[in-house]
Amino acid sequence: MQPTHTNKRGEEMGMDEKPSVLSVENLEISIKLEEGLLMPVRGVNFKLYENETLGLVGESGCGKSLTCKSILSINEKRCNTTGTIAFTDKNDTTLNLLDLKFNSKEIRDIRGNRISMIFQEPMSAFSPLFTVGYQMVESVYLHITRNKKQAKDLVLSSLRKVGIADPEKRYTQYPHEFSGGMLQRALIAMALLCNPRILIADEPTTALDVTIQAQILELLKQLQKDYGMSILYITHDLGTVAQMCDRVAVMYLGRVVETATVQDIFQNPVHPYTQGLIGSVHKIGGAKERLFSIEGNVPLAMNLEDRCSFYDRCIRKDTKICCNKEPQLTQVGDEHFAACYQPEIKARGGSQSAG
Amino acid sequence: MNNEKEEKALEKKRLKQEKYYMASQWQLMGRKLVKHKMALISFFILGMLYAGAILAPFLAPKGLEDYSGSYSDAPPTKIHFFHEGEFMGPFVYRYKIERDLFENKIFTEDKAVPYKISFFVRGSTYKLLGFIQSDIHLFGVENVEEEGVKDQAQVLLFGADKLGRDLFSRIVIGSQVSLTVPLLGTMISFILAVIIGGISGYYGGFIDTVIQRIIEVLSSFPTLPLWMALSAAIPAGISVVNVFIFITIIMSLLSWPGLARTVRSKFLSLKKEDYVMAARLAGVSDAQIIRKHLVPGFMSYLIVSLTLGIPSMILGETSMSFLGLGMRAPATSWGVLLQECQGVSNIANCPWKLIPLIYVGLAVLAFNFLGDGLRDAADPYK
Amino acid sequence: MQDKQTNTDVILKVEHLSKVFSSKKAHIRAVNDVSFTVAQGETVGIVGESGCGKTTLGRCIVRAYNATEGRILYRAGDGTEYDLQNIDKKSMQKIRKEVQMIFQDPYSSLDPRMTVFDIISEPLRANFKDMPKEQIEQNVKEMAVKVGLNPSYLKRYPHAFSGGQRQRIGIARALVLYPRLIVCDEAVSALDVSVQAQVVNLLKDLQKEMNLTYLFISHDLSVVEHISDKVGVMYLGKMVEYAPSDMLFAKPFHPYSEALLSAVPIADPKVSMQRIPLTGEIPNPANAPSGCFFHTRCKYCKEICKTQEVAFVEKENSHFVACHLRDEVSLQGIPMEE
Repeated sequence: MQPTHTNKRGEEMGMDEKPSVLSVENLEISIKLEEGLLMPVRGVNFKLYENETLGLVGESGCGKSLTCKSILSINEKRCNTTGTIAFTDKNDTTLNLLDLKFNSKEIRDIRGNRISMIFQEPMSAFSPLFTVGYQMVESVYLHITRNKKQAKDLVLSSLRKVGIADPEKRYTQYPHEFSGGMLQRALIAMALLCNPRILIADEPTTALDVTIQAQILELLKQLQKDYGMSILYITHDLGTVAQMCDRVAVMYLGRVVETATVQDIFQNPVHPYTQGLIGSVHKIGGAKERLFSIEGNVPLAMNLEDRCSFYDRCIRKDTKICCNKEPQLTQVGDEHFAACYQPEIKARGGSQSAG
Repeated sequence: MNNEKEEKALEKKRLKQEKYYMASQWQLMGRKLVKHKMALISFFILGMLYAGAILAPFLAPKGLEDYSGSYSDAPPTKIHFFHEGEFMGPFVYRYKIERDLFENKIFTEDKAVPYKISFFVRGSTYKLLGFIQSDIHLFGVENVEEEGVKDQAQVLLFGADKLGRDLFSRIVIGSQVSLTVPLLGTMISFILAVIIGGISGYYGGFIDTVIQRIIEVLSSFPTLPLWMALSAAIPAGISVVNVFIFITIIMSLLSWPGLARTVRSKFLSLKKEDYVMAARLAGVSDAQIIRKHLVPGFMSYLIVSLTLGIPSMILGETSMSFLGLGMRAPATSWGVLLQECQGVSNIANCPWKLIPLIYVGLAVLAFNFLGDGLRDAADPYK
Repeated sequence: MQDKQTNTDVILKVEHLSKVFSSKKAHIRAVNDVSFTVAQGETVGIVGESGCGKTTLGRCIVRAYNATEGRILYRAGDGTEYDLQNIDKKSMQKIRKEVQMIFQDPYSSLDPRMTVFDIISEPLRANFKDMPKEQIEQNVKEMAVKVGLNPSYLKRYPHAFSGGQRQRIGIARALVLYPRLIVCDEAVSALDVSVQAQVVNLLKDLQKEMNLTYLFISHDLSVVEHISDKVGVMYLGKMVEYAPSDMLFAKPFHPYSEALLSAVPIADPKVSMQRIPLTGEIPNPANAPSGCFFHTRCKYCKEICKTQEVAFVEKENSHFVACHLRDEVSLQGIPMEE
């Protein structure tokens, strides 16, 4: 029997036959600086499947923002990107997004249309000079239709779907007339106008209050069901990961160090960094134990030696094995991968899957 | 062997990093400035110009008072090395003056007698830096007693003006005024701006409002008529030095408002920084906060504003003197020298009289590039 | 003064504190009639969303702002009680040594033009003008070690340090005078998760070692629950609930607290919270609603809530709440682990 995976919506899917919507392989980004070669992304591998939310978790300096921006090719020109980003659209054609030339018509066809992105600061995502309606309708003109009435209707229905009351009035308003939460909803509405296959959400709720954050996350979950899209959710907040994501990829210093289902990440993290991260966060309502703190700081991603990047801060390191070569992602369990020579795999109760 | 090399490279990297960690704001700024090529070149050019101004009487072959009837409006003298086929070292010829149909002077070289150019010749006396008396000049035509000729032969690198005065000497000596008035004037503005702008920005409220209105009124006066009025108020017949001081004060009084605004806005923004509040909570007095936190905070911006403000003062002083409102005889500045360029026939016949313009342009450009470099270097924490 | 619950001395008593910012266009009551008590040695967390006034409250307590009304009763180390709102200059200078603040932004809270040594020693030099150089140096070095900084790095400038290390420098600066009350204004909010853990542990250790009292202002409820003995919830300038931490999180008495707690994402995928939806947006503080401020978004709202203002009263056992319906509604808290 092939191992199966059940996502949050209770649908079962076979492991190997799962269609991946986005497959990132060996993504590397380097920037030439005066002091040397900076490599903020040093080999990122993950897959995003249909109808799921993948959380990309990491702290500052791990390279998650650069990774996502490279999917839509919106990094600065001085970033040298190599690797493969395979995007499979609804009609089953696959193309490598990195093959597309910078700012070419092909990549612009995909931006906002097949793959959309929402950002942390909704205030900066909208221009203060134009009405929200005008900016949203621009996207429709580009990708769907040039008919003014049809475009406006599309925008209005989109605004309604994200829960903005009185969309007719809001259409003519300027961004400064919206509150933070409203504006983030409008941004989401704009991102979903063309019914994209993938929505990349780069820390969409970090700048919002807790109660608004809860509303936005609920909204995203509902929209995912309605639109049938995949969400790549970038964050450093483990709480939102637990509530939003089906699967999680943990990044450290430019590499993915562990990927697993969200339950496994929280209950059976095997990489020492993931374990440290989970231990650093106090679970509200949980026992008041002393927080685990990872010693040391994140090093600069320049002139790194070829050994495990977490070596200096790891509490489990083996001086003979771990400092020889950078570990690659290897399977440590059902849909569970980790880049570690000393993964701490706990024995699980319940049915083991046949390999 | 390889290990040693690696270790050395690592050690070098560590030292470099350590230097970066220990570097203060000024050191970081200096390091960045040195990498800016135009700024460096400008710095050297300005250094040479100012050194020239300090040593002016020594570098100039002729003094301010020397004039010569026979050399009136003479073009630059050619420097020859071979006289009648023989090598003689550098020398010049006198001019034979003829007039053409339109009564214009035509200068041709009288190749009969060569006049040697020597170094460290004796000439008119001067006081270097105000107290070192001397009469030695860097170069010039040696004093030779001649019969039947009243005027000395001269080497005129840049030609002569209407009174036969060596333009090169006058440019070099004039640079003393043209380069120091802006510098001194700027420094006085600076002090005024820091005090007034600082009070305005730190205390805010009513004081701020009053000072800002005063600044606005001062800024709205048209500069040229104001200069003319103030310059006309300078009493006649006072010494050169006093005229110099008055001009400097006039220039600085007109430029401190702009600088004060910069200081005030910087104060306002720095006042809100958390570290200022932390200092206040720690019990540090207001005066100490201004001295230790706010002033160093805007110093770099102020220096950039200064450096970029000096060119306008140079142009201001030059313009004033050009219009006859600035320095008076016998003192000279580049602007005064340009007075003779009024009139097309003058320029057409004696184009060398425009050479002071090159100096003005050079000084202004050099300050601008230096200011650019400083501004780029000024935020070392980017 | 004695605190009923913990039976220890009270170090701070805030009574009907208000801070109004007025301009020609509007009057904003950033802090509106807030009263609470802090016992010595404990940590009081103040939580709320944007516009609730918690930062202004903190700044009023350290006297960075001058409050408009009310009293701030502070018990100094020698036992004398002072009203910080009504205090002479000399006594204020003395109190300054005992009440300090740790700031949110590790990048703007340190003067980039001073060495770390100068930053930490500045309070010493300002308050003890006669202290000899060697003693200053020794004090600074000791404090640096206490907060986990390498003393040999003291001659460096702030740009050499990471965010977490800078925050440690800020903590060292706040503690070098051996204060008694520290206001932590979102002290860990700008830090990465793992660095937050380091700093939170550090703060807890230092509290034990130096017998400090913390007023911990934050919007992050997980951190506040972890570190606080008592918690105060603020909304639009008013304190709506104040109780011992376990009691408030397990069973709040104010509908806003309930909504707030239900919105916190729990770092455990097994738990799914029944979210209490809050309709509408936070009202404009210049145009606060009538009666109970919260009535426009409260799902339990009744007529009395729209018209009558609410008093902040003790419902039970040091648990204060400002709600007309406090005896009628039964609210949901966070499911607690045993």
